[in-house]
Order: sequence, then C-alpha cells, then structure tokens
Amino acid sequence: MKKIWAQAMKEFKLFRRDKLLIMLAVLMPVVMMYLAGSTASLRLRNIPLVVYDYDNTPLSRTYLETYGASLSFRIVPRDPKESPEQALASWRGRAALIIPQNFERDTRRGGSPIVQLLIDASDSNAATALGNYAQALNSSFAQKNAVSRAMPRLVSMSQRLWYNPGLSNPIYFGTGAMGLMLLLFPALLGALATAREYEVGTIIQAYASSLTAVQWILGKALLYVAIGIVNLVICFTLGLLIFDYRFPSDPSVLLVSTLLYLMAGVFFGMMMGNSTGSQSAAIQGVQMCAFLLSLLLSGYLFAIRNIPPQIRWLSSFLPATYYIQIVRNSILRDVGWSTSLMPVVALALLAFGYFFLNVIQMRKMQFKG
Amino acid sequence: MPPAIRRYLALATKEVQQLRRNRVLLIQLLLPPTVVLIIFGFALNPKVRDLRLGIVDESLTAQSRNFVDALTENVNFEVTRRFLNSKQAEDAMKNLDLDLFVVIPADFAVTLGRAETANVQVVIDAVDANTAQIAQGYMRSSLDDYNATGGASSNVAFRARRTLARSTHPSAPPGAPDVYPAYLYNPGLVTAWYYVSGLMSVIMFINASLVASALAVKEKETGTIEQLLMTPAQTGEMLLAKTSPVFVLMMVVLFAALGAATLVFGLPVRGALWLFTVAGAFAALAGIGIGVMIATVSRSQQQAQLLTFFVNPPLTMLSGATSPIENMPAIFQKLSYIDPLRYMVTIVRGVTLKNAPWEALWPNLAALAGFAIVLFAISAVRFRKI
Repeated sequence: MKKIWAQAMKEFKLFRRDKLLIMLAVLMPVVMMYLAGSTASLRLRNIPLVVYDYDNTPLSRTYLETYGASLSFRIVPRDPKESPEQALASWRGRAALIIPQNFERDTRRGGSPIVQLLIDASDSNAATALGNYAQALNSSFAQKNAVSRAMPRLVSMSQRLWYNPGLSNPIYFGTGAMGLMLLLFPALLGALATAREYEVGTIIQAYASSLTAVQWILGKALLYVAIGIVNLVICFTLGLLIFDYRFPSDPSVLLVSTLLYLMAGVFFGMMMGNSTGSQSAAIQGVQMCAFLLSLLLSGYLFAIRNIPPQIRWLSSFLPATYYIQIVRNSILRDVGWSTSLMPVVALALLAFGYFFLNVIQMRKMQFKG
Repeated sequence: MPPAIRRYLALATKEVQQLRRNRVLLIQLLLPPTVVLIIFGFALNPKVRDLRLGIVDESLTAQSRNFVDALTENVNFEVTRRFLNSKQAEDAMKNLDLDLFVVIPADFAVTLGRAETANVQVVIDAVDANTAQIAQGYMRSSLDDYNATGGASSNVAFRARRTLARSTHPSAPPGAPDVYPAYLYNPGLVTAWYYVSGLMSVIMFINASLVASALAVKEKETGTIEQLLMTPAQTGEMLLAKTSPVFVLMMVVLFAALGAATLVFGLPVRGALWLFTVAGAFAALAGIGIGVMIATVSRSQQQAQLLTFFVNPPLTMLSGATSPIENMPAIFQKLSYIDPLRYMVTIVRGVTLKNAPWEALWPNLAALAGFAIVLFAISAVRFRKI
C-alpha cells in the first residue's frame, strides 16, 4: 500500500510541473463540454422559407400566415426574378413554398388544391422533419379555417413526456458530453504518463525496482482517477449551471460508476501508452479509440440501435456506452440501482479487463523477484 | 534555374525522403481518414425506428383491440409487451424496457358506444428529446388515421397516400388543401450523404494540422533546426519545402475520402470538381498554417499534439459538419464565421450535393482563401522567429 502511495506521489510531482497538462486537465473539459453540449442540437428553428404565392388572395395569405407564425419557419423576402431552385441552390432558403393559382377558389369548392414545398434535403434528417412540420401546419390550417368538413373525433390523446417535459436537447447532449469528457482526459493523461516512462527510459527503473506490476499500475492510476474526480466535480457544476442537471436522489450509483468508469478510462490510456511506447502515438490512439469511437458509437448522439449490426458490437466494448446510460438514468430519470445494475457490472468488467491487460503487458518485462 | 527554386527543390527532396522513410506516419496519414469517414457514414443515423411500445389495455374489448391494431399498423412501433395495469408499464419504463406506452381506459368501449370522444393516455420517455418528438408524431399520425377512417379497420386506399416510414403526419382531410413536400438534392433521404460530405474536409483539415505541427516541431526537438537555419535557404523557402509534401498528401487524403464517399455511399458530385479542388487546397493550406503556428509555440511533439487538442474540436463542432449551424445558440452562430472549416463544409456540400451557382459559392471561397493566406502568412512570420 505504501509503495502504491509513493508511486502516486511521484506521479503527482511530475504532473504538477507540467503547466500545459494542468491546463488541459482542468480547463479543457469545461470548454469542450460546453461546446459539445450546446452545439449539438436537432431542434429546427427559424428555417428560412421562400414563398411563391401565385394566388395572392386573402385565403392564400392566411395560409402563408400559418407558416410565418410557426417557430420552425421564417419567411424570407425573395427576389422576383429568382426561381425556387435557384433560391435553394444558393442557400437563400432551406425550403420553398409554392401556392398555385386558384388556391382559394379550389379550396372553397372543396377541390383539394395542392401546395408544393420544395425542401433542401442535403440534411436529410432536417428535411424529413420540415416536411412533417409542413403537413402538421397544413392540417391545422384546414381545421382553423373550417375548409374541410368536421371530422368526428373518436379518440383523443393526452400525452405525458416523462423526465424531460420541455423536450430540451441540451439536457440530453449535456449529460452525454460529461461522459465523453470524463473518458477523454483521464485516458489521455494516463496514456501520456505511461508513454513518457518509455520515451525517457525510466521504465527500466520501474522494471528493476521492487515494485510489482500491480503496484506500479495502481500507483500511477490513483493520481489520474483523482484528477478525474476533480473533473467530475467541475463538469457536474457546469451541468447544474448550464444544462439543468438535477441532483440524483441516490447519488451512490453515479459515484460508484464514475469511479469504475474513470478506472476503465485510465487503464485504457495506460494500455495505449504501454503498447505504443511513444507519447505522440499514444495521443493518437486515445483520440481515435477513446474519443472518436465513443463519440460515434456510445449512444451520445444517436441511439445505439440505429447503428448497423456489423459495427454495433463494438459499442459493447466501450465504457462510455454504459456510463452515458447510467448518467442519464441518475441525473435525468432519477432511477436507482435496480435499473443501472447491469451497466455498472459491465463497467466493472471492462475496468478489470483493461487493468488485467496492463498487468500482462507489465509482467512480460518484470524480473521475477 | 533560379537559385531560390533550386534551394526549394533540394529542401523538398529532403522532406519527401524523410517522409518516405517514416512508413508508420504515412500509413497513419492515408488509411484512417477514409476508414473513419466510412464508420461515420454508417454510424451516424438519426432515423428513429422500432420504438418499443407497451400497451395497457384496461378495457379489454373488441373496440380497444381494434384501436391497438390501428396504432400498431405503423411500422415504426414494435409492441413489446401488454400490461394489465399502468403501474407495471411505469416500472417497465423505469427499467428502460419501453420507449413509450399507451393506456386505454376501462370505459373506452362504453364511451365510444355513447358516441363521445374517448381519451387515451400516452406516456413517452423524453430524455432523448429528438426521439420523443418523433415518437409523438408517429403516435399522432396513427391516431389521426384511426379517427379519419372512423375506427374502421384499415382503409388501404387512404393509407396508401403516404409512406409510413417517412411521414409522421396524416394527409389533409378530403377537400382541404394538401401540401406535397419534394426533397431536392437528396430525394432518397440518404442520411450518410450529409455527414460524409461534411466530415471529409474536417478529417483532412485535422490531419493537416497534426502532421504539419509534428513535422515542424520535429526539427526543433532533434536540434536539426539550427542546421537548417544556417543553410542559405530563406525561411519562406524552408517553410514551403516543409509543407509542400504534406500539402500533396492532404490532397490525396481529400480525394481518397471523396472516392470512398462516392463508392461506398453513392455521394453524387453534381458541381464543378475544380472548385472542390481549389477549396480543398485552401483548406489544406489553412490547416497546415494552424499546425505550423502550433508548432512554433510548443517545445515538443507531445506539447504540439496536446495543443491541437485545444484547437481542433471547437473548429470541428462549429463547422456545421455534424449539426446544422442554424440550430446552434446565436453566439456560436456568430463564432462560426471565424471558423475556416465552415466555409469549406459549405463549399463541399455545394459542389457535391447541390451544384450551387457560382454567385453563392464565391463568397465562401473568398473567405476560405482569406483564412488560408492569413494563417499561412502568420505561420511563416512565426516560423522565422524560431
């Protein structure tokens, strides 16, 4: 135990001297979490809509008014000489609404005039959503202006949106962003610290000392897990301030899983450092595996079941998959151990697995005492 | 041959030879960008499908079963379980076994029999706001269908007017105006096109800055920078010689990415390829400029790489490659104007998907060129000082 502590103190002294690293460890999570949490948003607002009203009657203007009043669309002025295709191709509008001649007359006769909406579908997700908004607006226009015969309503629906009644996106991405930050930086620090030993050659001293592999690894990891806990406090505070985090009523789940997660991250980073033996390569490895793969496959952006099965299996090896789920369970859903037990066990297994790989890597070089 | 060009060629040859010997770096440079791009294209998929629907049928009558049938005709719902009371469904939702559930009250059939409006409750797990919103839409659309057909079991002619997977809202009632959305540029609504077209230049840019900083700082680290400074070559020539192999490599990376995108995802190239090339060249220059700038302030390769960590993620997030700039908070929208990648992403999408007119593209190209020149000039000035 004393040996582990001594190793951790040595690491701390090394860490304290590196100003850039300290900055990276403390400042970067805050900046990146803020950016990641608030730039990722799928909610559409103020989409510029170019309007071609070839009818120009009171009813067609009322129809336009329906679109103008919605939050999703913003009617932008158009150049009279410009065709809708040109307006869309040059980003002056994301969608173009074309109202045909005789719109009012046909409506009054019950002739179902067809209004066309051209949508720039280069962002296919947004385009689908816009098409749906337009159809909803269309129905509401029909209802409000009593242009269609009234439908007998058999069934009505009352909705309840659990856990996030305002349908706020930052809540969702803010919790995921914390998970990413708590993986990236501890893993990076662990990788750097280990790779440095190889680069400077001091690893030989570790081999030759009376430290066992387990003690060496634990001593190194201890400091970076501690830094990770500082990061947790920082990120959680930021979350409370900006992303509407709520204190979980049973914080023990979050604490235990954070510890396991940090350990998994640090061990993973150390494994990268051990196997590459150079700081640059270790940084790239961490960036690739810990950050990029976690960003894509952990369910931070899109649900895991949307990922094609050929690469979906990868996500079960990523600690972030489980941790992000636990964070959302604790902070947003406020459910306790019964729901989060499986992910916590998975995290523990992953942490232990990475630890074990480290021990194997170290053992190979260690002298038998 | 003028001496300046001779000196440049000599230095460039040295750089190329050094780069060629560094097989690991070459593989690192050329392989991952394409692989990453392909993973990105496959993994990023915001479509919502197979929502797990739970049903609490307290009525247990022919009418309620008919209603459930109408709801579940929507291909996006997958009925996982039926519950006897809403408490069980709530527990299942808390255990993350359900995405949403419907509660049909005990007096459902009675109310319908009296020709009144029956009320059902829908509970949605809204932690993922986007999914919840879409689920809400699907639900409403199924319900409207049910109401429109007067509760009769499926009326195929009415349903055939829309594709279930795409539309979440019902067609307009008969007689009322109807709106027909037409999807330009990507009529098949392939999600990968959006991400792939955005990210190919981002990946190239990040690589350019990483490699340029690594190469520039390497001379400093190994101490060979003094020897370089003592040669008759000017700093400008030195910098050009150092960066031109990287530049060529980056253009290869960019075109490999474009090739992968067209082959794997069928991304169309509708506009002028030369515009893509020119813009790519400017973006690569800007990336190299940032890389060299980072190198001039850092003492070791490790420091340089850590510093790129500070710079690259914000540039990526603000570029609009993964989430539309219009959706960001106003302050980030303004900040995105000082992100060279924003212009590059716009041009790539303009050229590949939209065939955008020159009038719309040139301001972006001009801005990108401005950034490339300024960044490269600053890095040249700073490089002289080492």
